[in-house]
Amino acid sequence: MANPPARDEDLVRRYLSGDRAAFAALVERHERRVYNRALRMTGREEDARDATQDAFLTVLRKLSSFRGEAAFTTWLHRVTVNACYDLLRKRQRAPLLERGEDDLPAREPPPAPDHADTSSLSMDVQQALLQVPEDFRAVMILHDVHDLRQEEVAAIVGVPIGTVKSRLHRGRIALARAMGIEQQQRFVEDPEDPGTFGESRGAVPGAPRSGERADASGPSEGTVSP
Amino acid sequence: MSHPDDLLADYVDGTLAQRERAAVDAHLTGCARCSAEVRQAGAARAALSELEDVPVPFGVTGPVLAEAGRRFERRPGVVWGRFQWAAGLAAAAALVLVVALNLGDGDTTQNAAAPERAATAGGGTGAAGAESATPGVIPFAGLERQPDVNYDEAGIHAVANDAAGAVLAAKDAAGSQAAFASTVTDSKERTSLARSCIDRSGVRGPNDELIRLIQARFDGTPAFIGVFAEGPGAGQAPDHIVVFVVATDDCRILSTASQRIPPG
Repeated sequence: MANPPARDEDLVRRYLSGDRAAFAALVERHERRVYNRALRMTGREEDARDATQDAFLTVLRKLSSFRGEAAFTTWLHRVTVNACYDLLRKRQRAPLLERGEDDLPAREPPPAPDHADTSSLSMDVQQALLQVPEDFRAVMILHDVHDLRQEEVAAIVGVPIGTVKSRLHRGRIALARAMGIEQQQRFVEDPEDPGTFGESRGAVPGAPRSGERADASGPSEGTVSP
Repeated sequence: MSHPDDLLADYVDGTLAQRERAAVDAHLTGCARCSAEVRQAGAARAALSELEDVPVPFGVTGPVLAEAGRRFERRPGVVWGRFQWAAGLAAAAALVLVVALNLGDGDTTQNAAAPERAATAGGGTGAAGAESATPGVIPFAGLERQPDVNYDEAGIHAVANDAAGAVLAAKDAAGSQAAFASTVTDSKERTSLARSCIDRSGVRGPNDELIRLIQARFDGTPAFIGVFAEGPGAGQAPDHIVVFVVATDDCRILSTASQRIPPG
């Protein structure tokens, strides 16, 4: 019978005590999740690649100071999310010339959703996800796409669990609207709370609001590479 | 009754305790707003759970593992390892560089044709100035990210040409400023990763000095572009610019270009 796989924390210890293969094992074990999280977060293969490398380089650099207060995975995921934030910020700062056409309003409307075709469906979801503000997006990717428990998400993102719940709910509604899933007709919008963002009632600028198809303008962080 | 906003995420997840669930159900029968939100959130959650992970493309973590290996080699008290040199920490190294390049006084900001990255050029003196306070040396300012620029052979030759012009101008001009208008100078980690990749490709000669490093694409392939000033050695001034283009995933050489520097 094969040995049970080594715990992440043991691999860290082994690397620090001179086993160079241990770091490779850590990378191999986590690269898929890290890369996919970055891909969902940034929407661009190129950025996901850079964010993945940045995240693992940060881990490599700080491994010796990893004390094991948090689980290794929690730490790794926090580093990953931060690497994505950094990258998205950089892209926003880059001169317009650099970003080319990504920034212009959509040249052509995205193809109509074809729900028979899984790949185009997930493309739609990914596009819509990019319309959701980053803080909400991160929580949704961790919890709804990658099935992490709310407690883990709270630890990774560094917010109270109530904030996680609130971001999840508001973010999901924003995503639904970006996907064109509208409220039912008989529902008369409550002017006091038309589903704006915020931890409670505060609005976040730029959030798509009801009735406003988010695909009217392209996502601000680029598009999904084919 | 006020809306049970704090319960709706868990309601959609189906993780509410029986009693709370019943309370929310009761509220939903009389509240169109919350009912609509629950419908929308449920649809969004379902769509998200359909998203599947894709395989990691080839070469994403290769450079990281290579860097891990190098750190390993450096670990036991290597003081003058090339990483430290690369980090620009060594004043002595700068001194050697001056002798090797044997340039005249001053340098320049001459950037010929590198297409209009001027937007951030003015701010480029910080890192560059720190890297080389020595007059006459083109300061290496860090990795320039040009993610949306796709170079071809002609573009690489233009880069070589620009660099030759910059080195030449550095022999005449005064002041210490960045020689190249750069867009985004990236993190130290990424810069050292790029340098490692160039080094690993084995292209660097003994008398080459890196003066510029770009991350962009070459014929569509993600690439690092390293620009070197190359001299005959023995303290003589550089007489060539050599440009190497290597793939970011496995550091293989994609292209090269060279340009003679006219005698100053």
